[in-house]
Amino acid sequence: MIETAVAGLRCSEVLAQLSDYLDGELGASEVKRIEEHLLGCPNCERFGHNFGSMVVSLRRAPDGTESVDSKLVSRLLTQLDELTHEE
Amino acid sequence: MHDRQADDSSITDQALIARTAEGDRRAFEQLVERHAAAVLRLATAASDPSTAEDVMQQTFLSVYQQAASFRAEASVRTWLLTIARNTAFRLHGKTRQEDLVEEPLTQLGVQAGWGSDDPEAIAIAAERKGALRRAMASLSAEDQEVLTLRDLEGLRGSEAAEVLGISLRALKSRLHRARLRLAASLRRLGTDDEQASIGGQP
Repeated sequence: MIETAVAGLRCSEVLAQLSDYLDGELGASEVKRIEEHLLGCPNCERFGHNFGSMVVSLRRAPDGTESVDSKLVSRLLTQLDELTHEE
Repeated sequence: MHDRQADDSSITDQALIARTAEGDRRAFEQLVERHAAAVLRLATAASDPSTAEDVMQQTFLSVYQQAASFRAEASVRTWLLTIARNTAFRLHGKTRQEDLVEEPLTQLGVQAGWGSDDPEAIAIAAERKGALRRAMASLSAEDQEVLTLRDLEGLRGSEAAEVLGISLRALKSRLHRARLRLAASLRRLGTDDEQASIGGQP
């Protein structure tokens, strides 16, 4: 990786802040510098774009059903019955 | 579990916990319905797929027993996930790697495709749920936990830090490194799949 300095930021500095940037954790001036760097650095722009897409896919990964196997829940409730009868 | 009465979404988690503390079995069942999938995912990350169900069961039994000790100012989900993580660690915790020297960030970046001519590989592989699952499973428990809490469950940074018992600063650092390692794993999987596909051609 050949590092360049664009908008006063080196590529490794952009790499270090990518997650904070994607998560909206940076201040307005830091966001502006990173976006200027990305505009002037095709390597960081391509990596940042694809890294961001990966995070979006990860966030969408849980199944929409949001339920677990009904047998598992039945087993849990049976265990709860045993526990409460012991008490 | 869907043959049971439908979840009443107007009841808050806090109210369900209060009712559970009074021995309301139906309130407890609703809590299980709402949070079992998240608890199971964190249990899988913190322990192992083969023991995650056991961790989930023990977590909810602990929740039932400890419901009276819940403090209303906390998030129920954060509280549940903290119990799940502690339970996983106690019963089946994987070996932790917290004392290892961290790799330089640029090294992780290069493995993830930073500066390469194929950064698209990680985004393409991540669109396949099977590849994402395999890549996640190849990571350490620490990496899987932080990705599960922040990206799969959508907890805020401060909530995820609370579950893991670390500072917000440490959480952010761990999350970024975990995402880079996930990207590196996806990139490797993409390359392997490509080679397998070429090898499979007549």
